[in-house]
Amino acid sequence: MAPPQLVSDFIRLLLLLATPAAVICLVLAGLSLRQSGGPTMVIGGNFSKWMFWAIVFITLPGLLSWFPSFGVPASIPGGGIGTGWMANLQSDLTNFVQNFVVSRLATSLAAFYVLRAILETVEGGHPLPSIITAMFLLAVQTTFTLLRSYNSGGQYATTDVLDSLWNYAAGTICPIAAGLAIVGAVWNFATRRPIMPLVGATLGLLTVSAIWKLVTKMM
Amino acid sequence: MSLYNGILNLTNWAGNVIMPTLGALCFAFAVIQFARGYHHLYSNWAYGGLLCLMVSGLLRAFERFTGQLGYNNPDLVWNALLQVVDWFANVILPVYAGMHVAMGALKFGGLLDVRSHHAQLDHTRHFLGAILCLMISGLLRLAEFFVSKGVGGVS
Repeated sequence: MAPPQLVSDFIRLLLLLATPAAVICLVLAGLSLRQSGGPTMVIGGNFSKWMFWAIVFITLPGLLSWFPSFGVPASIPGGGIGTGWMANLQSDLTNFVQNFVVSRLATSLAAFYVLRAILETVEGGHPLPSIITAMFLLAVQTTFTLLRSYNSGGQYATTDVLDSLWNYAAGTICPIAAGLAIVGAVWNFATRRPIMPLVGATLGLLTVSAIWKLVTKMM
Repeated sequence: MSLYNGILNLTNWAGNVIMPTLGALCFAFAVIQFARGYHHLYSNWAYGGLLCLMVSGLLRAFERFTGQLGYNNPDLVWNALLQVVDWFANVILPVYAGMHVAMGALKFGGLLDVRSHHAQLDHTRHFLGAILCLMISGLLRLAEFFVSKGVGGVS
């Protein structure tokens, strides 16, 4: 027996709202980037939690394709939403997230984080985390496009995106971060502060893949 | 607007625009500290100024240290450390030795006014430091020799 039109449309609505939900998760991940604490909180803190949920929402159809193998028939209804008010709700919510949250709210929040970076410098703190947060918030749309480009669409889509994201972080972001670590080390040397943690960080950031291989070899 | 572009441009701006400018400030501080006779401070600012001008070069040096083996070779971490040690011991220390020979000669000739309580020993320390800098590999081999001789334990 075919499910009622309303139920099918509700499922379609939820699936189509997964995309705006992923974008909101990315905005929340950006906000968590500064609230969680130091650089180590990027992995294992709220930032990674929201990034994970963003990836789950992006790869939701791939995850749902696991259900038949558990013995639960979960055929995803295709096509558009037939019920008018549901289609309008989906369209309005998508527009709200795109035009209000991403285009304007995230930009305003990024501007506030730039201001926070200056205030943190006044307090004797470090401006870099707030600057990185501002950059992440400004780049939410590009990050979303990047994550979607990693989506293989199959049963393993979630782990494929996580793998690709790790490769992107290790191969693209970390070598650039090594440059920032060198800048920090030089400045710490001039101002008579410890430099060895930053020198070690530079070496580590330039050899992330090798350290991963080393760990797997040790197992 | 992407995070990659943001971080890349931030790194370029910090390393190639801000740090050279701050390098000039470091040199200015070094001159002031030298004029005030703070010998233990001015060299730090002077070296800091030099390093500020060499951020890109230092990053390239670290990339060279970590690029001798494949990017996913498990031995890369050890090899990178080996390259750092090798560069420091065989490139930097000989240059440093030359500087200490020059400093020792200047102090021996009485050209620099050093008013510390061990001023007589200052030039000797510079010459001895230069010799030790030049024989750092030999010192390591000597230590290894002593340790290898002792593997049998005390009988």
